Amino acid sequence: MSSKNRRNIKTIKTQKQNGQLVISLNPKIYPLEAIYGACYVFVDRAYLFLDGDPKKEIKVFIEGKRKLDSKKLEELAGEFKNELLDYVLRTAIAKNTKKIRETIVEKALFSAFPSEETSEEEHIESDPLGIAVPWEEKYGEKK
Amino acid sequence: MTIRFNKNFYNLKTVEKASQAYQGLADFKISQNKKVITVKLENIVPTAKRKIEDEFCNYVLAMMKQ
Repeated sequence: MSSKNRRNIKTIKTQKQNGQLVISLNPKIYPLEAIYGACYVFVDRAYLFLDGDPKKEIKVFIEGKRKLDSKKLEELAGEFKNELLDYVLRTAIAKNTKKIRETIVEKALFSAFPSEETSEEEHIESDPLGIAVPWEEKYGEKK
Repeated sequence: MTIRFNKNFYNLKTVEKASQAYQGLADFKISQNKKVITVKLENIVPTAKRKIEDEFCNYVLAMMKQ
């Protein structure tokens, strides 16, 4: 992507401030959960701090743990943005598949621990062969 | 040294837990108002003086994810 195109994207903005980069994010596109995830990946390489307004603009302050020149700092921010996108996708997939995952786990647990008493009772109550029905009731009085 | 955490992104419980983990390195005084959690660091161990603020912030952020 050319730098001209990058400048046109309003959902993500990067500014330099006191030797650190400030990445401003649109919370409608980058949910907070994804931002926490991306930050977590970078805590061993960078110092990160969150500020701003979670409804309007989230600011991520990022600074290398080692002294980084301008170019390296930009690279670090670029990597952070990629990680952020990765987390946005993961969050969306997790959200979209939540119900099906819960159903699978529920079914697996249910079949792993069958309640014998309940199933036996249910079986008697259903009586598909009519065994519980008395002879007289079923075929009438003896002649 | 004072750190101000925005309550929209950090919660008091996490900051308190993190300060417990760091208590050997400094004295922590935590207060809060409606928007901000303020952490004052005093009596910082000399060897930790340079990086404690940034490392503490990272620690709190990592705990927020968990």
